[in-house]
Amino acid sequence: MSRKTLEIYSVELDGTKDTKQTDQEDDKKYNDLDLKKSHQKEELKRELDLDDHKLTSEELEQKYGTNIITGLSSARAAEHLARDGPNTLSPPKQTPEIIKFLKQMVGGFSILLWIGAVLCWIAYGIQYVNDKSASLDSVYLGVVLALVVILTGIFAYYQEAKSTNIMASFSKMIPQEALVIRDSEKKVIPAEQLVVGDIVEIKGGDQIPADIRLLSSQGCKVDNSSLTGESEPQPRSAEFTHENPLETKNIGFYSTTCLEGTATGVVINTGDRTVIGRIASLASGVGSEKTPIATEIEHFVHIVAGVAVSVGLLFFIIAVSLKYQVLDSIIFLIGIIVANVPEGLLATVTVTLSLTAKRMAKKNCLVKNLEAVETLGSTSIICSDKTGTLTQNRMAVAHLWFDNQIFMADTSENQLNQAFDQSSGTWASLSKIIALCNRAEFRPGQENIPIMKKVVVGDASETALLKFSEVILGDVMEIRKRNRKVAEIPFNSTNKFQLSIHETEDPEDKHFLVVMKGAPERILERCSTIMINGQEQPLGKSNATAFHTAYMELGGLGERVLGFCHLYLPEDEFPESYPFDVDAMNFPTSNLCFVGLLSMIDPPRSTVPDAVAKCRSAGIKVIMVTGDHPITAKAVAKSVGVISASSETVEDIARRCSIAVEQVNKRDARAAVVTGMELKDMAPEQLDEILANYSEIVFARTSPQQKLIIVEGCQRQDAVVAVTGDGVNDSPALKKADIGIAMGIAGSDAAKNAADMVLLDDNFASIVTGVEEGRLIFDNLKKTIAYTLTKNIAELCPFLIYIIVGLPLPIGTITLLFIDLGTDIIPSIALAYEKAESDIMNRKPRHKKKDRLVNHQLAIYSYLHIGLMQALGAFLVYFTVYAQQGFWPTSLINLRVRWEKDELNDVEDSYGQEWTRYQRKYLEWTGYTAFFVGIMVQQIADLIIRKTRRNSIFQQGLFRNKVIWVGIASQIIIALILSYGLGSVTALSFTMLRPQYWFVAIPHAILIWVYDEVRKLFIRRYPGSWWDKNMYY
Amino acid sequence: MLFEGLILLFYLVFYGFLAALFSFTMWAMLQTLNDEVPKYRDQIPSPGLMVFPKPVTALEYTFSVSDPSSYEGYIKDLKKFLKSYSLEEQKNLTNCTDGVLFEQKGPVYVACRFPDFLLQACSGRNDPDFGYSQGQPCILVKMNRIIGLKPEGSPRIDCISKDENTAIVSTYPNHGIIDLKYFPYYGKKLHVGYLQPLVAVQVSFESNSTKKEVTVECKIEGSRNLRNEDDRDKFLGRVAFKITART
Repeated sequence: MSRKTLEIYSVELDGTKDTKQTDQEDDKKYNDLDLKKSHQKEELKRELDLDDHKLTSEELEQKYGTNIITGLSSARAAEHLARDGPNTLSPPKQTPEIIKFLKQMVGGFSILLWIGAVLCWIAYGIQYVNDKSASLDSVYLGVVLALVVILTGIFAYYQEAKSTNIMASFSKMIPQEALVIRDSEKKVIPAEQLVVGDIVEIKGGDQIPADIRLLSSQGCKVDNSSLTGESEPQPRSAEFTHENPLETKNIGFYSTTCLEGTATGVVINTGDRTVIGRIASLASGVGSEKTPIATEIEHFVHIVAGVAVSVGLLFFIIAVSLKYQVLDSIIFLIGIIVANVPEGLLATVTVTLSLTAKRMAKKNCLVKNLEAVETLGSTSIICSDKTGTLTQNRMAVAHLWFDNQIFMADTSENQLNQAFDQSSGTWASLSKIIALCNRAEFRPGQENIPIMKKVVVGDASETALLKFSEVILGDVMEIRKRNRKVAEIPFNSTNKFQLSIHETEDPEDKHFLVVMKGAPERILERCSTIMINGQEQPLGKSNATAFHTAYMELGGLGERVLGFCHLYLPEDEFPESYPFDVDAMNFPTSNLCFVGLLSMIDPPRSTVPDAVAKCRSAGIKVIMVTGDHPITAKAVAKSVGVISASSETVEDIARRCSIAVEQVNKRDARAAVVTGMELKDMAPEQLDEILANYSEIVFARTSPQQKLIIVEGCQRQDAVVAVTGDGVNDSPALKKADIGIAMGIAGSDAAKNAADMVLLDDNFASIVTGVEEGRLIFDNLKKTIAYTLTKNIAELCPFLIYIIVGLPLPIGTITLLFIDLGTDIIPSIALAYEKAESDIMNRKPRHKKKDRLVNHQLAIYSYLHIGLMQALGAFLVYFTVYAQQGFWPTSLINLRVRWEKDELNDVEDSYGQEWTRYQRKYLEWTGYTAFFVGIMVQQIADLIIRKTRRNSIFQQGLFRNKVIWVGIASQIIIALILSYGLGSVTALSFTMLRPQYWFVAIPHAILIWVYDEVRKLFIRRYPGSWWDKNMYY
Repeated sequence: MLFEGLILLFYLVFYGFLAALFSFTMWAMLQTLNDEVPKYRDQIPSPGLMVFPKPVTALEYTFSVSDPSSYEGYIKDLKKFLKSYSLEEQKNLTNCTDGVLFEQKGPVYVACRFPDFLLQACSGRNDPDFGYSQGQPCILVKMNRIIGLKPEGSPRIDCISKDENTAIVSTYPNHGIIDLKYFPYYGKKLHVGYLQPLVAVQVSFESNSTKKEVTVECKIEGSRNLRNEDDRDKFLGRVAFKITART
């Protein structure tokens, strides 16, 4: 039966004739596109050099110095092994783990913090030289800073290490042992010792140990799906059948599986020189693009680091020119750097992304590379496979034609809604043929499983017909039992039909029934009558025309059409005991009665049209890339909405207006169907033009290599491209794409490894939910960053004021770290749970270069508006504490020098009291705690206002996101613990704060909330105004 | 232009508003304060000790007996500091009863006299060089002012030389007594003219000792509520200083 399937698919397979040329063309394009890709070009070129499939056995023996019967001699094999190396895939040049680790240690803000730590130690060194009893404070601070870097580095390293290595799966595919003939003996040797020229034997269940040229075969079939994407078993024999080494039947590929039969072959390539080895090196050679979110975070780090360094240096200079000692100025510099760097933010971002990743995993999107979570959200083009992703990856009956009428069948996942007219006598006959002329069977023991889920032994078309008839007629096996089969001719490519002869189910009726199905034109040739409304009529011209019209129409829908006919044999000529002989064909196979046509298609998944529409409203272009025939591809594209109902291609317009294709104004067409043939003749500029001008594009009959070209074309448009794929051949495109999406069910391990994401249910609709999550996380990250950046000003101002005005230091560097890495952590993660403000699927994907994660509006609003208010609020608490203890604000000005002098133990306050150094220090720590609490209280307000960027908090719902409240509780609890629990630990410089000081900043917190509500109100009221432009981040 | 102007105007108004708001909240906060007594005094429960004159480097006095310019600064400082303790300055002050706390109800608070002769040899009356020219330098020790502090018992400042053999330490008034009549202190605003009690320490080096260097440690003794042994605060109720006298 598989022969028949192949024949019916033959139209599509024809496309692969061009593969070789395509590859050459691919080469040229790679070369044109990028000189760096010359490596890839070389790889593909070598693939073309393969001509072993054209050689005879003798030529092969000569070429590889081997003997087909006796194999290589051990000595020769050892020689080859020494020359070519072992038969393994060499792992890619990996960055040593330690380098990866060190990279984390210096990435992001780390370098700034290292500088801070080193400055601390230098400062201590200088102090120590001057005074042996110098305080260890700056050493502690240096250690703390170093610890912060190391811990966040370890965290990031751990996250990265979790994403698996692409090469790992390639090595997993390597077969372990091989049966080889050497020195005339059969030996089992480890597959890695195979050399070129070895004669190997393979049998069903084995993985092919190297690229081999088959010398003999007994019913050998291989599964090439991981390499070419063809899911059907491919027969393998010793004959040379195709110019293209990938298509010819006499080559077996390394790491593919032999499904059945046995074969003997000579090894022609080993290790990295095998086809799969080249693809592996190609995939690892394709540099994966930096993810958009990584770019955004880098951009953000640059902004923050830039601010930190420039403010730090500016004030260093100011401090020096204000006659501060250089040592003091260095300490100011450290404080400014620490205040400016959001130490906890990068870890928070990682946690946020992994939370989303978890949420997406629940929706069947398994994210391998954390950063890919957001990439999906910024995706502007999705290049999707057809088979399995947009479609159900199975055949189903789509249309029927009988009684001169086309009927539609239900192709949904359960097919229960078969609404066509089943009363006609013709249907009775047709259904009988469908049920009987079929060799597929349900695997036993599945009585309680729904029909559509039952496992069937048989090929795709027959399975479809079996399930179709089972749904409509009931127990098909029972029907077949009642109509015992007496003879059958299986499908073959010369006859192009399948025939079986049955007894009728009426025991009185001694007629035999011949049923036949096959290629419609062949079936019609054998018919002289046609059944209309249950009556046999002679097959006239009009009937034949009707047949052709229907055949063309169904074929035009891209469906696989089958014809059905039958014949009741006359009882007198064919008595009950008649010996039917299928070889002699001692029964009529012509002048039958034509009953009807039936067409099948791999039906779209029922959720897909909706998902495609969602993508479109979300501004995402869906491009279909398939190996299928253009007609089929276009039909599926239309049925799922990749080409919308109102769109036309240039060809459609030409046909509608009856003009030549060249005359059509290309601008009128919105859709385009481009075949691999056309693609290979295109210059990159032409491809760019197509990608830019058509909103709905289908690439049909493309080779997997062309996918890479399409992806690169899309990326030239500044698009963020998502690509789906399942075969090994897809892995370069998957890697090249901004986000590669592998199929979880149908996908090969290599594809899954090259991908950033795995669709567990192979369903396109899952991508859409992924897009939604990705967009949400981008918005929420904005909120998180805005929240985190705000307090930087409140942390920075104390140092600036301290330097310029000479107040006792309002907040210590270590205290700052307790905000950045303590109270602020959980709230900033909590923002990741915020719901979208509006329908995020109704807006365009963000522009990679224009819609930044951190734009200047966000920075300015956070720093110069809310941040400043926070600073004022925190200073209020600070001044309150000092004033109520005896130091009025005015007395603090320029107090710094006397305040910090260790031997000065009688500094007078505003009331005439005198303070020792330690008493002042303790007051200073109380000031730190007060400032800390002031920031914390206002960060609560900051957290609440960051819930939305445009809507009022009350529109969003103050209590909808419960995690926010967990965050607020955590802030308060951590602060309470620090003040009251650890208030006695000197090194932490916290003190027990009077309860009333916790409330001093509340008016400022309320002000922040009110101010932000006003901002949002104006943004909503006056969209597009200068306010909107400057205040919306 | 209009655009930039609007933004400028906005920030002007916005920051003006913030400045006004901050001033208002600060003003409101200052209203909670009392001019006379700070709201809280919990962070200075016990006074620190401090010496006078204040040496240039951390509590180390170095001078040369034969070189007046090496101690000129100290003498100047002492004179300046003791100026308010001169009899002429104390004319308006009250003679209070010795040995008891001088609690007052107001509204007018008076200060007790601390005549400088109590400092005897270190009063500067007889020896304008405060002993520096004889190699017997005077150092004043004072107790930090704390509003409302009422010492219990009979506090005195006890000074010992860490190195008995090189120097003899004498304190004036005798035994380093701090009279209770100077307590409690009612604050800068109410207690005008308040003089805090002083104790002078005179270090006399043994004439035969070659090494004229000594570390003196002074502590408050004799009062339960004046602490003198805090691990973290080396100046709470105590002070240590070093004197090096060259010939």
